[in-house]
Amino acid sequence: MPLKMKSTLNSKRNFSFLGKVLITSFFVVIPFYSSFAQVFGQTIPDFWLWQFLGRLHPMIVHFPIALLIFAAVLELVTIRKYNSKFRPGIQLLVLIGAISAVIAAMFGWLLANSDGIQGELLDLHQKLGIATAVLSLLVLFFLQKVGKKPLPNQIKLFRTSLFIACLGVSVSGHFGASLTHGEEFLTEMLPWNEEFDAPESLTINLAEFTSDLSENQEMLLVTNVRSVLAHNCYKCHSGSKIEGELRLDEKEYVFKGGENGPVISPGNPSQSELIRRVSLSKNHKDVMPSKGKLLSKEEISLLTLWIEKGALWPDGVPQQSLYRVADLAPRKPSLPAPKAGLENPIDRWVDQYFKANEIDWNVRVDDRTFLRRIYLDVIGLLPSPEDLERFQEDPNPQKRQVIAQQLLDQKEDYTQHWMTFWNDILRNDYTGTGYITKGRFAITDWLYTSIRDNKAYDTFVKELLNPTEKSKGFIEGIRWRGTVNASQRIEMQAAQNVGQVILGLNLKCASCHDSFISDWKLEEAYAFANVFADSTLEISRCEIPTGKFARTEILWEELGNIDSAASKAEKLRQLADKLVQPSNGRMYRTIVNRVWKQMMGRGIIEPVDEMDNLPWSQDLLDWLAVDFVENGYDIKRLIYQITSSKIYQSESIPIASPDLLLASDFKFQGLIRRRMTAEQFSDAVSNLASPLFDSTEVRFRPYELIPELGNQAEFARASLVANNPFLTSLGRPNREIVSTSRDSQASLLQALELTNGTKLNSALEKGGARWVLNYSDPNELTLKLFAQALLRAPTTEELAVANRLYAGKTEATKTQDLLWSIFLLPEFQMIY
Amino acid sequence: MNQSNSRRDFLKKTSAATLSTLGMGSPLAGLLSSCESRIPSTADSVILLFMAGGMAHTETFDPKKYTPFRKGMEAKEVLSTFPTIPTKLDDIFFSEGLENIASVMDKGTLIRSYQAADLGHILHTRHQYHFHTCYEPPQSVVVPHLGSWIAKEKGALNSVIPPFINIGQRFSVGEGEELKAFHSAGFLGSEFGPFLIPDPTAGLDAVRPPVGMDTKRFESRNKLYEELMAAGPMNDFGSDYQRESLKRSMEQAYILLNSPEAKAFDLSLEPKESYDKYNNGKFGLGCLLAKRLVDQGSRYITVTTEYEPFFGWDTHDNGHTRLKDMKKMIDGPVAQLIKDLDQSGKLDRTMVILASEFSRDMMTEGRPGLKVKDQVEVPDIIEDMKNYGMHRHFTDGCSILMFGGGIKRGHVFGKTADERPCKTIENPIKIDSIHQTIYHALGIPPELNYEIEQRPFYTTPDGHGKAEFGLLAKS
Repeated sequence: MPLKMKSTLNSKRNFSFLGKVLITSFFVVIPFYSSFAQVFGQTIPDFWLWQFLGRLHPMIVHFPIALLIFAAVLELVTIRKYNSKFRPGIQLLVLIGAISAVIAAMFGWLLANSDGIQGELLDLHQKLGIATAVLSLLVLFFLQKVGKKPLPNQIKLFRTSLFIACLGVSVSGHFGASLTHGEEFLTEMLPWNEEFDAPESLTINLAEFTSDLSENQEMLLVTNVRSVLAHNCYKCHSGSKIEGELRLDEKEYVFKGGENGPVISPGNPSQSELIRRVSLSKNHKDVMPSKGKLLSKEEISLLTLWIEKGALWPDGVPQQSLYRVADLAPRKPSLPAPKAGLENPIDRWVDQYFKANEIDWNVRVDDRTFLRRIYLDVIGLLPSPEDLERFQEDPNPQKRQVIAQQLLDQKEDYTQHWMTFWNDILRNDYTGTGYITKGRFAITDWLYTSIRDNKAYDTFVKELLNPTEKSKGFIEGIRWRGTVNASQRIEMQAAQNVGQVILGLNLKCASCHDSFISDWKLEEAYAFANVFADSTLEISRCEIPTGKFARTEILWEELGNIDSAASKAEKLRQLADKLVQPSNGRMYRTIVNRVWKQMMGRGIIEPVDEMDNLPWSQDLLDWLAVDFVENGYDIKRLIYQITSSKIYQSESIPIASPDLLLASDFKFQGLIRRRMTAEQFSDAVSNLASPLFDSTEVRFRPYELIPELGNQAEFARASLVANNPFLTSLGRPNREIVSTSRDSQASLLQALELTNGTKLNSALEKGGARWVLNYSDPNELTLKLFAQALLRAPTTEELAVANRLYAGKTEATKTQDLLWSIFLLPEFQMIY
Repeated sequence: MNQSNSRRDFLKKTSAATLSTLGMGSPLAGLLSSCESRIPSTADSVILLFMAGGMAHTETFDPKKYTPFRKGMEAKEVLSTFPTIPTKLDDIFFSEGLENIASVMDKGTLIRSYQAADLGHILHTRHQYHFHTCYEPPQSVVVPHLGSWIAKEKGALNSVIPPFINIGQRFSVGEGEELKAFHSAGFLGSEFGPFLIPDPTAGLDAVRPPVGMDTKRFESRNKLYEELMAAGPMNDFGSDYQRESLKRSMEQAYILLNSPEAKAFDLSLEPKESYDKYNNGKFGLGCLLAKRLVDQGSRYITVTTEYEPFFGWDTHDNGHTRLKDMKKMIDGPVAQLIKDLDQSGKLDRTMVILASEFSRDMMTEGRPGLKVKDQVEVPDIIEDMKNYGMHRHFTDGCSILMFGGGIKRGHVFGKTADERPCKTIENPIKIDSIHQTIYHALGIPPELNYEIEQRPFYTTPDGHGKAEFGLLAKS
């Protein structure tokens, strides 16, 4: 007995020394550690050692879990007698358990950073893990406090802390496991969780398919199997792309298998390679799909069931659509009843949507925010302080509608702003590839006039499709010298561009082979391209001529036929007439959705070129499209309608990540905060500092087209100048292909252009001099500058900052720097 | 500001010191990084020396029988217009005027069998587009440049140096718009686009305070910006990615412009002796700048002998005479770059490639047997020196040099015929293989793709590019 005591004491002394070192080092490390995180942010995880240590986390975590829990179990076993024969063992377990808990926490942090894992679950796991590490050190601390003659309180403290630490490792371990294996890894095996909802892609209830199958059931089953294969496998295993010599898009190929033999053994799922591969875990080298998301449990059950039942595939399985296809026809849902303050039809739909989704209305913005927003959205310019004052003082309760109409009536301002939008969409630019060899035609004159005259949209489209010399540039595409891909011949460019821009559909895939993203077939794409052809096109499949000649068709037979024997001019005339008919609901949904996105920051459907996607409100979209048709295809009216809605006039919504905007489960809450476009920003700088672009850069002068205008511009609007590195860095696209949404995220290259680029710098230099010439009093200058740039007075702090800058005397260089600082504020650059 | 700067520096240095001690076993590093990409990388950076305008293989790295000029000679008898010189490799000869590069050929691989594509009409900008993106123009999406893929996948080695830098090309020249079409990150996002330095001697301008602003004022301007940012009422106005990314990018730009690494852009800091070795014009200084930037951690750099129609390598006349100058322009700097990188040990992890969009020939436009539009009149009988040279565009046999970053040393790959047509007769290699070899060395797997407009888009068309292991040393 005495001997035993001695050894216990010895081990305790050692351990208490170790424990102290450990505790001290831990508290030294923690602050260092967090400053690491702050300072290095992203650079640290790039280093291999960090990544390596991080990857050790899943291994190390098992030590604290096993050791601490085992220690606690022994503690329970010996609960009656503290100084049992297990005591030294328990102490060792606690010591190593605590050390490994700390190491596991550190490695875990490295893993989280280097592998870019994010999310609530991680946060929870991380916080709990760190807390547990700290707690386990406390356990150590309490343990060493337990003296030679243990006091009951000391023992209690130690044991309690040990049990809590055990709970900690268990719970954080559980969350860690959920991160690795998925949140349902454990719970899905519980008997009461056996039932599941059928996923979206499955339209049948597998439970009904237990006994012998009826003919109808066989059909249903294989149709659903095909849908699963299409959504998950076609990208690599279909006519367009055949990896591993395996095709899964047609019966014959599915049963033939791939380079390693058959993938299906009818009646025998466990012998079927297909089932084996899709059931593997994410990291297995054989797992399928090898890229992208794995099949859901339900999808695997479906495939398994189908094979179990003999993999029946009756002939004549109908060619059922495997993708969501939006209705072509227009639809006019009946408007919800108006309520006080919700007279605008848009608001009635939004209100209904908000109710259904339990979303609250945001408050109405003040006059200043509204005015700044509507100026930028309708004419692309900032209002002046005088504009604001006039507006604020106007007692007319309808003044917001009045100003909307006034801005829409400022023809040149309106046109020059919307030129940017249409130039991007219609791939029209003043310079660019193709012009050098006359392989491309600008449509600027036609476009400017059309926007200015607010040409009815059906006429606008007709003139693009059945063009005059002035508007032919859109369907003529860009003719590159030399041979080009069959899928890029100009007839096919026309089909793709008309499809994308006018009809909101993607024919790019189908212009080379049968699409694997939609139901469009190669022959249909060629049939549509043939409308734009002088002589009948021969179909090429993946660049290889097939010897087949294309039909001549509009994509939907509901829209009517095109005379395949007619001349190109006649075919285009027929196409134009047929596409713009009101029964082509799709075309009008596409345009109202685009305008909605321009005004509200996010389409009712996204991406705006994929109109088969689900809208967040089918009713609103359908109603807007029909209303647009019924009221003269009037784009200005549509803009007016949107700006006069309560939702447009409500506070804007910030977005934490651009992915959220494109998420399929996006919930509409209101107008999305945006950044100014390259053109809006440039125009603001040109106006407030000094013109950014000189006359040599201007490529389009409205007064040359409309002489009565005269040259009255104070500065060249950015939408009318040749593209340049400054505008490119701020997101103006090279308009070689249609561009319907811009890359709006800031980047280093852009920041460098803004920080030391000569274009901005020289405009600001002149601007600084100009301001100083006009205002000699620093205070006055600051007030005026804030009023003009931000439409508000500076705060006390801001004024103090400016006063410190000037120290009593205005100077051109200082003003230049002040202009720069203000222009780069998010408040200046955002449309909010 | 200063305080936090020095703290940051301190942390950076101490952590670097600790890490370098820990990281002694660098073979281990390769092994470990392979866990991630499954391909162990052999290169960290790439320098592409681009001979824009079409460099004739028979006049440079793959000379054929020397046929000296004489009045009245038959055009079709002209194979090479220069005598040959020996290289560091046995039985391998270069064309006269490339003595310095010949002397470093033991450090790399000479490819003599690159086949450029047939794009119908042989045009520089279209073939350059194809060379730099691996895709034939036009395409239905904006295709990323090779450098953008690398910038996106590998990121910056040093966060303050842009990962993709393009040196020596102005876009104000003829066909400038066509050049812009492929100097783009395309759908990867402008963040990964090229950082353009049209004139290497003015490289510093790109990374220093704007004209007319000294460092002190530059710093106080930034301070002013930060103070206004902190004082403004919109500072904590919800969390918005655009506002955040704007703030972050401005901070990053400021750090770059203020960082010691930015000095790499300043060629005047290069010791005179070394500067003079490179100083024979824009291209030579571009090589020097590339060396300095790779030292500081850029990922991908192109240095181009600037493309301008009918200038540089684009010899539609006076081919022989003009090539003397072109060789003078590249021979010294290219060899010096290889030597310097080799000496500093950087060559082991830096791949240097010298290539052109296609080759040239006296007689054949395009490739043998495939008639394309002739763009140059070549008389049957040569009376005038101005007609003596390779004036047509030839695609069926081009030379490429590759050094470092896992490339075999002292190796020759492929062969062209010694008699006209001097086309590839052994180991033909195409652009997707060249690209994939580069990606492979960097540890980027061939199946890398992004979904764009719902379709997968790969680094090489359909992900079919295969690394050519015949070029890579066994690691």
